[in-house]
Amino acid sequence: MITSGLIQALLWGLAYGCIYILLATGLNIIFGVMKLVNFAHGQLLMIGAYIAFTVTTALGLNSYVAILVAMGAVALIGVGLERFTFRRVLGTDKLNEIFVSLGLIYVFENVAVLLWGNTTRQIPSPLQGMQLSLGGVSIRYDLLFAILIVVVILVALFLLLKKTKIGLAMRATSQKSTASMLMGVNIEKVYVFTFALGAALAGASGALYGIIFNFSPTIGALPTIKAFAIIIIGGLGSIPGAIIGGLLYGIAENTAVYFLGGVWQDAIAFALLIIVLLIRPTGIFGEKGE
Amino acid sequence: MQKNLIIIVVIAIVVVAGVVAGWQLMQVPSAEARKIKIGLVAGYQLAEGQDMDRAARLAVKEINDAGGVYVAEWNTNVEIELITIDTENDSPDKSLGPVTQAVEEEQVDLLIGGYTSSGTLANQKVAIDNRVPYIITGASSSLVTRRGPQANYGGLPEDSELRIDDEEGMSYMFHYCTTTADYSATVVKFFAEEMTPLLDSTYEFDASRNLRLAIIYRDDPFGRGVVADSKATIDAEELPIDVVAERSYPTDTLSFQTDLTAIKEAEPDAVYVVDFIANTAEIIKQGQADVELNTVYIAVECCEDPQFYTLLGQYGSEQLLESKFAPYAGPPYYLESIETYVTNYQAAYSTLPGMMGADTYDAFYIAADAIERAGTVDKAAVRDAIESCTLDQMLIITETSKIEFSTGTDYHEIAPVTFIEQLIWNEDVKECRSVIVYPASAEGVGTLKQADFVLPTAYEPGSP
Amino acid sequence: MKQTLINSLGSIKREIVNFSRSRKFYLILAAMAIVVILPPFLSNYVVSEVLTRILIFAIYASSWNLLASSGQGSLGHAAFLGVGGFVSALIAIKLGIPPIFALLLGSLLSAAIGVLIGLTCVRLKAWFLAMVTFGFSVIIVTIFSELDDFTGAVMGFPTPLIVDRGLPFYYMTFTIALISILAMYLVMKSKIGLAFRAIHQNELEAKMVGINTGKYRLIAFVISTFFAGLAGGLFAQSIRYIHVSVFDPYYSFLPLMMCVIGGLGTIEGPIVGSVIIVTIESYLPRIDTALNGLMGSLFPAVSNVGPPIRMLSLGLFLLAVVIFAPKGVTPLIKKAYNYLRSNVKEEKT
Repeated sequence: MITSGLIQALLWGLAYGCIYILLATGLNIIFGVMKLVNFAHGQLLMIGAYIAFTVTTALGLNSYVAILVAMGAVALIGVGLERFTFRRVLGTDKLNEIFVSLGLIYVFENVAVLLWGNTTRQIPSPLQGMQLSLGGVSIRYDLLFAILIVVVILVALFLLLKKTKIGLAMRATSQKSTASMLMGVNIEKVYVFTFALGAALAGASGALYGIIFNFSPTIGALPTIKAFAIIIIGGLGSIPGAIIGGLLYGIAENTAVYFLGGVWQDAIAFALLIIVLLIRPTGIFGEKGE
Repeated sequence: MQKNLIIIVVIAIVVVAGVVAGWQLMQVPSAEARKIKIGLVAGYQLAEGQDMDRAARLAVKEINDAGGVYVAEWNTNVEIELITIDTENDSPDKSLGPVTQAVEEEQVDLLIGGYTSSGTLANQKVAIDNRVPYIITGASSSLVTRRGPQANYGGLPEDSELRIDDEEGMSYMFHYCTTTADYSATVVKFFAEEMTPLLDSTYEFDASRNLRLAIIYRDDPFGRGVVADSKATIDAEELPIDVVAERSYPTDTLSFQTDLTAIKEAEPDAVYVVDFIANTAEIIKQGQADVELNTVYIAVECCEDPQFYTLLGQYGSEQLLESKFAPYAGPPYYLESIETYVTNYQAAYSTLPGMMGADTYDAFYIAADAIERAGTVDKAAVRDAIESCTLDQMLIITETSKIEFSTGTDYHEIAPVTFIEQLIWNEDVKECRSVIVYPASAEGVGTLKQADFVLPTAYEPGSP
Repeated sequence: MKQTLINSLGSIKREIVNFSRSRKFYLILAAMAIVVILPPFLSNYVVSEVLTRILIFAIYASSWNLLASSGQGSLGHAAFLGVGGFVSALIAIKLGIPPIFALLLGSLLSAAIGVLIGLTCVRLKAWFLAMVTFGFSVIIVTIFSELDDFTGAVMGFPTPLIVDRGLPFYYMTFTIALISILAMYLVMKSKIGLAFRAIHQNELEAKMVGINTGKYRLIAFVISTFFAGLAGGLFAQSIRYIHVSVFDPYYSFLPLMMCVIGGLGTIEGPIVGSVIIVTIESYLPRIDTALNGLMGSLFPAVSNVGPPIRMLSLGLFLLAVVIFAPKGVTPLIKKAYNYLRSNVKEEKT
């Protein structure tokens, strides 16, 4: 029963899915290389949105250029996080990473409240109010642009991982860090770069999020949950899995609402997650054994 | 060594116990003049809570600067001391502790505030048990005053735990706020009285055609309450309105296009959006931008806040907002006290006030007036004084133009007047501003209406 | 089997006798004396809202501690707190069972759900388990909210009380807390606890040594969720209301914070953590006015800088503890105490 309403739902799901993909990919890269899980990842998205908001409104920068600024700033924050917090608990009890994440969630959310207050904001876009209409379906230019930007970033990421030296080092480290150390890879440098990269992706997704949705200091929690759901379904450590998972999630979310109606959507998402994990404890595309 | 340790510890316990007991004894409330302690129950994690805080501090400052409150019992003027009771997000578990501390340790004379219905229902128990007058300025559920015997338990079933049998205690509760019944009634009456004739004349519909209303709402007691009350009013007054679509969604939803598409397929004349600021702005935006649902949207009064106007941007143009306090509908304002309040609030805080603060502001003046008329801070006397309040309306319009509780019943509510505003795009500030379009007039105010309601430019009616 | 039981009882008895001669014993005795004798002299607020809450969350944090000691760091423990609270209240109201038995039933049901969730988690690693347990708490909230006509969860309702609030409730809670924490202590000290720690250390090696990791992980879940449900029932009693807010992520993070700050894996850690956090949350808000005076102008975007600054400090404190004092604050307190004692001793000689 393909109605234009369903096609619309698919389109929106695609656009939202792209934002989740960026976030999930960042998380996945960090896990793949460092075997580290950061539950405060969604807060980096939130900070990215606020930074983009600030440079757009205070400096009058184009909101799409602001994405680059947000990426850079959040990458720097990522460097700080890696050096001062995560590095110190890497290698210790796995639970410590969870504790650090929790502390960071409190820190980020309250710093955001102090700096920007807890009113809801939106990043003004130059494309506001404009949309593309094609045979019965219409989509805002902002959403189309978001898809485009995500594709560009993912392509750039792909090139980085496959063609550059640091990308090679990252891939080597994700395979087996002791072996790559023997091969002369500076593990510390790789870790810092990886975390910064993951953070930059989170910052980009935040800047896009802020253009499409409105946001406040507490919006970080939900995207984190969705990002985790995506990478668990797609497989921890697998980037293609994250991409497919992200698209599936975005589409499923919107079409499920179309057929079922909202209230159970979170619960169903988690139920699916749990079922997947029961069958394959490392996710669909996940690495076997650990 | 161990023996010495035990002896030291035992002595320490006795000493500490003695000190604490002695300190407790010294906490007898003095019969001498002292500051009046009023506790503000507000959730500081919420923007509304902060608005209440600012409004409260403004009111307290104004009252104190004007000389304070004259208490006949002490034959002197005393100041009001504002005690902040931070309930964080105003949920029951977070609000009980702070309110208990304020009532039992700080020994506040009076409580003002309460934002969420569930939080207030939980924390008002402390005030009821301790006989502390509580002017509840939030909480859209009327149960906060009606759960006692004097209101026949507000219709609660016989086995409901929410019932309170303490009639005396419940008499200390005052509800200075609008309820979901109040404002949903105004919305549906507006549709029946103003919009239906306009549609009929503009599109040459048959006079027997009912208005096609769609409701999109957040799935929680607030949303469901508004929907239920709206329908109840439509039935009770036999209004010419058909509810052609109802869509609800989880409160943390970000994308509403699918629900809006379903509503579009039902071909409504108007869409009633029941949610708070962030989601309502999103819905109105997504409805027009993504779904091309070019109808007229109406938002509930909790959206009457600077954030809402900013977030809506141009998408708010010609849309509707039900409200009880309109800092954006002027100058010139429909009530002089509004102009004064807005000016002073802006001067003090560099931001415009929201609607939660308005009730709170008034409540402090009600409290000060009551204490003066009672001549004492004795809580029972103050309660009686609030009950017999006849102040002129301040920031909230009432049906009688006076602030009156106990309108013929023993539970304390007011009869507020809510109105409908239409948002007009203002090129100078690059945001919408509002004008009142309904009702035409109100007691003590005279003409309330500032402009006629017009259908939005891109408006498409529902099916004929 | 019978012989092992007699042996372990005997060894416990010997341990108790040895312990009673140690310094620690007198310390604990003194602490208990304070906790038992002092309350009648304190204000109602301190007893009801602060001390009782410390006890309840000590049980709750200890339950989380026990689960974490087996390497299973749950991020959804609030589900059990809520189940315990709701079930005990609903059973007492709808079935007319005396609240004290309803409390027990609530805990049992919480443990039953714990078994189900534990079963899905037996094969999961730390992060997945964290996500899944969090996911379950979301599912349980949704169930309670959707069945609102039956549970009354969304608006909430007052809970039927076992005893009057104030001192009676305090002593009842104290007794329950004593028994609960003692029980958990005995489990942690026993062979079962040893298995937990082995699994936490290295699950693969534990398996190789012959430990049935699945069985022990499940046992940890059952015991932990039973006491979490018990704490939930008591919590519903202490705030005299039950509402969906009890399922908030805040209550899932709370036992975690208490254990980390107090000292993960130890028996006193969760108790110390509970004391610290409940005291901070009850009394620190009083500095808000001072904070606003000092720093209000630095942050014009907020009208009351108190709450965000306090929460920020809590986050930083947590980070500091995890990074610099991974064993929690208790060892630091012990060190300080020893330092003072040795100084005093030196002065004497």
